[in-house]
Amino acid sequence: MGVAGSKLEKALGDHFPEGERYFGLENFGNTCYCNSVLQALYFCVPFREQLVEYYSNNKNQGDGDENLLTCLAELFTQISSQKKKTGVIAPKRFVQKLRKENDVFRGYMHQDAHEFLNFLLNHLVDILEKESHKAKNQAVANGPSNGQVNGVKQEPTVTWVHKYFQGILTNETRCLRCETVTARDETFLDLSLDIEQNSSITSCLKNFSSTETLNAEDKFFCDKCCSLQEAQKRMKIKKPPRILVIHLKRFKFMEQLNRHKKLSYRVVFPLELKLSNTMEAADSEYSLFAVVVHVGSGPNHGHYVSLVKSHNHWLFFDDENVEMIDESAIQTFFGSAQEYSNNTDHGYILFYESIVADKC
Amino acid sequence: MMNSGASNNMMSAAPASGNNAPAPGLKTYFKTPEGKYKLQYEKTHPAGLLHYGHGKTVTQVTLAHLKDKPTQAPSQSSSTLGVSSGVRSAAARLLGGGNGSRALSFVGGNGGSKPMSGTTTRIGSLGASSTGNMVGNPNFDAKGTYLVFNVGDAIFLSDLNSQDKDPIKSIHFSNSNPICHAYDPDAKDGHDLLIGLNSGDVYSVSLRQQLLDVGKKLVAAQHYNKDGAVNNSRCTCVAWIPNGDGSFVVAHADGNMYIYEKNKDGSGDPSFPVIKDQTQFSVSHARYSKNPVARWHICQGSINGIAFSADGAYIATVGRDGYLRVFDYKNEQLICGGKSYYGALLCCAWSMDGKYILTGGEDDLVQVWSMEERKIVAWGEGHNSWVSGVSFDSYWNAPSSDGVAENVVYRFGSVGQDTQLLLWDLEMEELVVPVRRAPGGSPTFSTGSQSSHWDNACPVGTLQPAPSMRDVPKLSPLVAHRVHTEPLSSLIFTQESILTVCREGHIKIWTRPGLPESQSSNSDSLSSTSLKEKHSISGKVASSSYKQ
Repeated sequence: MGVAGSKLEKALGDHFPEGERYFGLENFGNTCYCNSVLQALYFCVPFREQLVEYYSNNKNQGDGDENLLTCLAELFTQISSQKKKTGVIAPKRFVQKLRKENDVFRGYMHQDAHEFLNFLLNHLVDILEKESHKAKNQAVANGPSNGQVNGVKQEPTVTWVHKYFQGILTNETRCLRCETVTARDETFLDLSLDIEQNSSITSCLKNFSSTETLNAEDKFFCDKCCSLQEAQKRMKIKKPPRILVIHLKRFKFMEQLNRHKKLSYRVVFPLELKLSNTMEAADSEYSLFAVVVHVGSGPNHGHYVSLVKSHNHWLFFDDENVEMIDESAIQTFFGSAQEYSNNTDHGYILFYESIVADKC
Repeated sequence: MMNSGASNNMMSAAPASGNNAPAPGLKTYFKTPEGKYKLQYEKTHPAGLLHYGHGKTVTQVTLAHLKDKPTQAPSQSSSTLGVSSGVRSAAARLLGGGNGSRALSFVGGNGGSKPMSGTTTRIGSLGASSTGNMVGNPNFDAKGTYLVFNVGDAIFLSDLNSQDKDPIKSIHFSNSNPICHAYDPDAKDGHDLLIGLNSGDVYSVSLRQQLLDVGKKLVAAQHYNKDGAVNNSRCTCVAWIPNGDGSFVVAHADGNMYIYEKNKDGSGDPSFPVIKDQTQFSVSHARYSKNPVARWHICQGSINGIAFSADGAYIATVGRDGYLRVFDYKNEQLICGGKSYYGALLCCAWSMDGKYILTGGEDDLVQVWSMEERKIVAWGEGHNSWVSGVSFDSYWNAPSSDGVAENVVYRFGSVGQDTQLLLWDLEMEELVVPVRRAPGGSPTFSTGSQSSHWDNACPVGTLQPAPSMRDVPKLSPLVAHRVHTEPLSSLIFTQESILTVCREGHIKIWTRPGLPESQSSNSDSLSSTSLKEKHSISGKVASSSYKQ
């Protein structure tokens, strides 16, 4: 491990970014789903900084209040404050806490990285909302505290998890009889996209927000017509998130087989992306900074690794191991154009960060 | 979704998505307004030859037409070929000394002699290897049209006009995979084929000599950038400079492009200065008269494609940074350019008249760039994945039904990693107003208003930022056809057909609807001789008239 670390340091040489740490994460028996996602989140720099700040604000509290948020904050702080530039860290407390919090992750079975990410982000939101409520109640007793406006009825709390990951979709339904458009907003922390063989993320996003006709068995209840009517439905992105997380639906339930099957389709993802089907005037632009890769041919076994961009270098994280890779190697994780292929390393969760948001 | 209306009507293909059905799901024809294009035959590499390294390199195809006829000794038409004839004759005479007349044949056809210096090393090895034998066919005289394509660590040569699926020749490179190649039909000293490798090395060879040699190695090659001495990043693209007297350019994955001149020493270190600002365009010339004679630093990241305008005045480059750049080649000056909607650009091509440039890239769009307006004039929407090859159909004649001459229609094609071939018509009058709105009229695409900056002419040498989706007129494809099961890498138009190529090294040849009723006046067309060859008899006699 020490050797691998020094190898990475050698590879980067003088280019080793100031203050950056590249640490592998120990695997506690099939915890690669967790490690790969944690690396991607760690290199989501604003999110990491928020967690490190959270840790320093809350470190004086007793162990009694330990939760997934404090464990994650502690882990990220632990990595970023390492004396060495490279090495391996055991995310023991975090994994223990995770197994305690959710029995899905308790066993030593292979887990779905996207399910874990989803659980983690929602769980962090819950904790932050609870804390915020607590703070609010205290604020009522102690007068206004920072960040909380007193006396105003607040919308559902917007935590910093929301600030980075949450976007808003508008579900527009147009009744084909009365032409009335019903719009319903939905929030999301990631977009799950259906995939097709030999397609691109751009194309999957287009399909995601393409117009769908509701008819026959699947009619729409129009409030104005007061009856079931044929309608056209489409999803638009009302507010694009700062961090756009795209989940490729590679694990498809096959009804004939009564089990999930992995789709190894080749789905190309560009290093820069724009969402053109938004409701905002400007097309929001994104840059890819992390990819969680599923390795293996089936859904119930296999391995997860991640590719991460840090200071214009791409790094490959495989549990304990960290290596530098060339940007051009990313294309080897697109998937396979033929069903039976030796290539089983497929991009599964993509993390894009907004370029515009950085400038604001 | 935008183009579904237009493409579905025309499409005879199986749906491009979803099912994993192999070849049986692919139709062997597709319809266009002018008729049916039919799959004539396929070319590929021998099975089981694939190394583990296969898949890392993408197959590209170069079309090469060997014009000269073996049995035609000195004859007419030397005037049109001008200076070029001298070099060939010089080589011919040297060759003639060591070999039979058959070997001599490839340089025949021209009078006059102007011996050239500097070719001696090449000629020497050339003479030794070209024994006049040909694999399996004693009558083989290496004439006609050939496909040059790379797969894995090899270059394959196929005869375009034979029905054989397998190539007639393979050339293996032991150290590094070939990536790109280019053919110059007007090469003056026989070295007409360039090959660029993953290691950065570049070779120039005579195609005919490779065909005549029985071995599996490159013969009589001139080696440039040996072991990556000047630049060890991957060669991404090679191109002969039109009317460039044998000069050529090589683009690399590190954003540099080098100019090589024949007959210049390539052994020394031309010692170019360190690039100060990676983001800025800069040109350095070699201090001594050595190869490469110049280095152009174009951009940060890889140069993915280069293309000269037909007259050689301009060179266009596309790259990882998403920019199309157009340079005045002689004056080494950036003229204009602009950014993709997003992501890298992967390919580019000029219209024959030099007025338009097509680009394709990772935003799934085919861009049409106008040299007159110095901006993107249209976006072609229709691919479901990255656009890997674009080309104008220079053999296309617009139906002249209305007799309006100004309304020029350009036909062009594009291929993508979605395994589809798309054909497009670019009608200039239609472009003034945004064309063909989306069926279903999404408000996002109501393109009436052009933003103010859009109309302002930009000064020479400035690059335009990515336009907004609503500012650029959209085109819909005339035809969308799923041609292969693998992602595609390029397409080529010939007079009789369209060639589509997939990344894994399979080539399909689609014949145009009907056959041309008469030979076009375009005497330089690649296909004129090949047509004759099919009807064999008068081949030799007829061909001479095509040399003008």
